[in-house]
Amino acid sequence: MTGNRGWVLESYPVGDDFDAALKLRDVPVPEPGPNQLLVRSLYLSLDPANRGWMMMPTYIPQVPLGATMWGFVLGRVETSNIEGFRPGDLVSGFGAWADYCLIDAQMANRVPDLGGLPLYAAQSLFGLSGGTAYVGVLDVAKAKAGETFLISGAAGSVGTLAGQIAKIQGCTVIGTAGSPEKCRWLVDELGFDHAIDYRTEDVAARLGDLAPEGVDIYFDNVGGPLTNSIATKMALHGRIVLCGSMAKFDNPGPELDLGPILLNRVTVTGFILIDHFHRLDAANAELARWVKEGKLKHTADIVDGLENTTAAFRKLFTPGAPHMGKLLVRVDPAAN
Amino acid sequence: MAEINRSWVLVQRPVGEDFAAALKLQELPVPEPAEGQVLAKTLYLSLDPANRGWMAGPTYIPAVPVGGPMWGGVMGRVVKSRSDKFKEGDIVGGFGSWSDYCALPADQANKIPETGLPLTAAQAVFGGAGATAYVGTIDIGQVKAGQTFVVSGAAGSVGSLAGQIAKILGATVIGIAGSADKCRWLTDDLGFDFAIDYRNENVRKRLAQIAPNGVDVYFENVGGAVGNTVLANLSKGARVALCGLVSQYNADDNPVDGLNLLTVLVRSCTVQGFILLDYMHRMGEISAKLGQWLGEGKLKYHADVVDGLENTLTAFKTLFAQGASHKGKLMVRVDPSAN
Repeated sequence: MTGNRGWVLESYPVGDDFDAALKLRDVPVPEPGPNQLLVRSLYLSLDPANRGWMMMPTYIPQVPLGATMWGFVLGRVETSNIEGFRPGDLVSGFGAWADYCLIDAQMANRVPDLGGLPLYAAQSLFGLSGGTAYVGVLDVAKAKAGETFLISGAAGSVGTLAGQIAKIQGCTVIGTAGSPEKCRWLVDELGFDHAIDYRTEDVAARLGDLAPEGVDIYFDNVGGPLTNSIATKMALHGRIVLCGSMAKFDNPGPELDLGPILLNRVTVTGFILIDHFHRLDAANAELARWVKEGKLKHTADIVDGLENTTAAFRKLFTPGAPHMGKLLVRVDPAAN
Repeated sequence: MAEINRSWVLVQRPVGEDFAAALKLQELPVPEPAEGQVLAKTLYLSLDPANRGWMAGPTYIPAVPVGGPMWGGVMGRVVKSRSDKFKEGDIVGGFGSWSDYCALPADQANKIPETGLPLTAAQAVFGGAGATAYVGTIDIGQVKAGQTFVVSGAAGSVGSLAGQIAKILGATVIGIAGSADKCRWLTDDLGFDFAIDYRNENVRKRLAQIAPNGVDVYFENVGGAVGNTVLANLSKGARVALCGLVSQYNADDNPVDGLNLLTVLVRSCTVQGFILLDYMHRMGEISAKLGQWLGEGKLKYHADVVDGLENTLTAFKTLFAQGASHKGKLMVRVDPSAN
């Protein structure tokens, strides 16, 4: 075992200046306690939620200063203090932005049989992104054939999968994204019915044309002012599913105007995947089947080198950045 | 019949709370009921915050036309029937207008049953307020025994009933109202566990004391600063029944705060708007339950009766005046002989 580098949270970030907040330091290789795994990181999953964890207590406590930044990791077991896991096993779970990290037993998931897919599919298709998209579309939004399904952050890790899953259910799917390239990709490659470039187009006006009967389901990955304009376009008894709120980080105002929610009897529901972990096995099985049948595509945007983590992370919050699908850092250059 | 039909005519859309400029009491011909309608002599008008929205623009119903009588919930005695459903002398409730006489479509009117209760009870409990409270608390809020239930506008027609229904279901009930007098009424007469006077107390601090684990169900009638404070204190998995936003109805140009989506997201909450119109098919079942609770003495109502059609606007204003002395269901007795 060689040395260990970790991104240490030395101050809380101001705006998107993650370079000032996080420093790559040489840190000791952690010692696994009872019911923990020591894992060699192969891939880091970079997710907008990571930023929330740095900023405030959310559904988990705030990351403490001095800690190695928390994150979801795909790795190989070095030392196991958990029955059933052995050195060499591939696992994913809640770890840290480091070469080596610890994963607790209740947060460790064995990587499912990838059926010939590359290893990174464990994060770009299975796990968090696929699980969130699957649970959000099927369990929370309860999307049904014939409904109009709108999704923001459509070119992101959850958005790409959720839009395709809604399409598989028989919905008319509209995505919003931040560049013409992303919009073309959504329609031409992923089979979305329509895509709206929210940076250059009037989203509410376009929705008036594309969904004259209103939007039945809005899968919200971004929050902020976009949600307010979409709220006025919801169909009677429509549903808004809150999956992400990353606009909140850069733009404190405005909150959601409840007037249109009342008028159209809309239901707004927030959900967090950790409340639905029992559904992950079912999600993984069905996602794999859809990929095999050619109905579902997954896309990974892979950045090489732990040292490039913060630069990659910033892309998630840069409107129009040329990033599509699941953002990953390949920590171990040998990982496929 | 008395041939004078006075009617509040909407002469322009209201600006702020200047209802006197928007509505004028005029004499109109007594309407002639068409086939399928009844002509009712108005006994009581129901005054509701939603009326304000109907004057201003299209809502879940079209806007009240300028130049026509103001729409509203009424209770009246049938004086001429062109429907098999009703006969002369029946007491009916329905969607009419702020007038001495209304022509009501029979298929949207309900016969008020003989219960032995005064007609004001029918208006206060069975006229929509009770069913709205029932649907919001039970269907939308899904309140359960042991949960913490908060209702704003708690001394109003819907709020006062919603809090009592949540109490019947075993919740700890907190009402938010606009005066010490109303708060005393909620706890001493209606059995609320706690009441917060939002005009004289710090709602955030009081909630932190009496609901330290957060609010499980919030019945929202008001919006604005009070609403935002409660919404910031929701518990994990909390439900919000969005019934009204009365603090906003007159705020024509003022930007308002709203729902912090991050709170709803990280706490996995559900916020659901609802309107009684979608539940009309359940009115029979709901009225039976409300009647049972009334009979058992578990549900109390307060009818705030203002006499005289000419006093309608003055009464209506009290719905929007913070700390006004109004409690319970506000109604206008149009016919002085009504009980």
